Amino acid sequence: MSLFGRWFTMSLRMRFILPISGMLIVCMVLIGGYLVNRQADSFMRELESSGETMSKILAINAESGVLFESKYELEDILLATGRFEGVEFATIYNIESNVLAQVGEREKTSSTMDRKALIEFAKTAKPIEYRTDNFGREVLVIGAPILTQKKILNREHLGITGGLNNSMNHDYVSEVIGCVELGLSLETVNKSIMEATTATIVVTLLVVISTFALLTLIISAVTKPVTELVEVTNKISHGDFSRKVDIQQRDEIGQLASTFNKMIESLKQSRDEIEEYNRNLEEKIIERTHQLEEAQAQLIQSEKLSGIGQLAAGVAHELNNPLGGILGYAQFTLEKLAKNVPEKTTTKEISSYIRYISDIETQARRCKTIVQNLLRFSRSSQSIDFEETDLNKAIEETISFVEHQLRLNQMTLEVNLDRQLPPVQANVGQLQQVFTNLLINAMHASEPNTSIEIVSRYSPALGEFGGAVELQFTDHGCGIKEENLKKIFEPFFTTKEIGKGTGLGLSVSYGIIKAHQGEISVQSVPGQGTTFTIVLPVQNSPVTTDTDKKTNE
Amino acid sequence: MTNTKVQSILIVDDEEIIRDLLAEVLEDYDVNLACDGQEAIDRLKKRKYDLVITDLRMPNISGEEVVRFARESYPDQQVIVISAYSSLHTVSQSITNGACAFLSKPFSIKELMQTVEDALQGAA
Repeated sequence: MSLFGRWFTMSLRMRFILPISGMLIVCMVLIGGYLVNRQADSFMRELESSGETMSKILAINAESGVLFESKYELEDILLATGRFEGVEFATIYNIESNVLAQVGEREKTSSTMDRKALIEFAKTAKPIEYRTDNFGREVLVIGAPILTQKKILNREHLGITGGLNNSMNHDYVSEVIGCVELGLSLETVNKSIMEATTATIVVTLLVVISTFALLTLIISAVTKPVTELVEVTNKISHGDFSRKVDIQQRDEIGQLASTFNKMIESLKQSRDEIEEYNRNLEEKIIERTHQLEEAQAQLIQSEKLSGIGQLAAGVAHELNNPLGGILGYAQFTLEKLAKNVPEKTTTKEISSYIRYISDIETQARRCKTIVQNLLRFSRSSQSIDFEETDLNKAIEETISFVEHQLRLNQMTLEVNLDRQLPPVQANVGQLQQVFTNLLINAMHASEPNTSIEIVSRYSPALGEFGGAVELQFTDHGCGIKEENLKKIFEPFFTTKEIGKGTGLGLSVSYGIIKAHQGEISVQSVPGQGTTFTIVLPVQNSPVTTDTDKKTNE
Repeated sequence: MTNTKVQSILIVDDEEIIRDLLAEVLEDYDVNLACDGQEAIDRLKKRKYDLVITDLRMPNISGEEVVRFARESYPDQQVIVISAYSSLHTVSQSITNGACAFLSKPFSIKELMQTVEDALQGAA
């Protein structure tokens, strides 16, 4: 990857520290280098100037010695000079470039000043050269001309053009009679420069390192919290909401941390809410499934009933013909007997025969009634139509259906029907189904030789328009426990053992009464008995008593 | 009856017991029996009867068709319908088809006799 790309993959810390440190190093090096350079320069200049001064003074002091060629004087001077620190060597030359006196070690072969050079030397102000002699020493060689004042006899003779003293008014002119050569060791200077450089480097390093450390410290105020944020975010992305960002700073990062925590909080809440909604959804689904099951059960029940109704209708029709035959012949025989057997000739046997046939007629008539009721029930339970209904009649018919069963269980019925009961819009078959259900339940709950009471009552005060009809079915059986009372109309709820009853009866009854805009309720005292109360509203229909359907009698 | 002539009655029912019963009860009349709609129509084609008594629910050709056929063949034909189906719809349909009376099964003998007399007097 390109350098540019590499740059962005480095950690924050590196990207922060490296450039700054780098720049710092560069600056320090530049500044340090500059300062050291200046220092070196000044050291050198110092050396040069002191060397200049020394050589000049030496030159002045050596004038007489050179003039009079006094070696010892010159040596003394040189010795004194030589004692100065840093003086490697000092040489005094005469004009012929002969060494008049020398102190210190000097290369023999290096730049012997010849006359020409001397003259040149005298012209220039400060001959300075730096060299490393073959002793390995670094020396600054400074020369100074030894001058003497001389009266001018013949300028041209001296070959001096110009000269040091350019004033034409003077009689005197400076003449070069020799030169001084001073070799100063650069050792000290070098040492000082070395020291300065080292110091600079050390300082630079210290500064850089401490800056590095400081920067690291400072930047961790950013990188450490960022790392923590990354960690917590990672945990959250895996669903773990337990960690909170623990950052104590009060700065922008601290704010980021606290708002981040708030975000975690609200994320957690959202997730919890979603989980709860899920749970609720599941509960709702279960509830809805129950409702659907209930509706299905009711549907199955009404289908069954419809099937039974059709069966009943078929059977009833089948029965009608034989019944017609039985009833017809019985009646016919009785008539014939009445016609052909006069009163006086009636023997005991004949009377009993007449009685027998009467009984046949009566029972056949009874069958007819049952079949008719059955037909009516099946017809109306198949239809969903409401029509004006005399509830008392519906109750009485129901009784006729279950009479036999009740008698089998030695139950007695007490019926108390309000004769002023107004008609009600109803589906007779369905209501009879409800009555049957309640009566059978009452029977199952009761001991033999107990009674069941049925009461019908008209209350003008109940309900909205025209009042309502109240029907009560009371038994003196085992009763219903309080905690079961509210569940009793639920589908599939039964306290009977498995196989006895599906628990659907009351829920279907409940549905039927509800469809009639009515109410069904229950009261019970365990051990004493139960009362079911049905309230059906009377619509705004005219109260007529002519509800007797024409039946053949 | 003031009439000396014995009146004829055609009894149509697929149930034997009903046919026999009616025949016994109406023994004073000239009773002919038909055991289904087809036989009834065949007989009606051959002659006219003073009264037709018919059941409704019969195989193949129903009582309604018998009623219609009888009334179409003999416009003043008296027809009594006897049936177990006594819904309002059935009764009104029978009357519309031309029956003059409807008896619902099972019937009482007295009522039957009275209805037959009334119908025959109407014909006379």
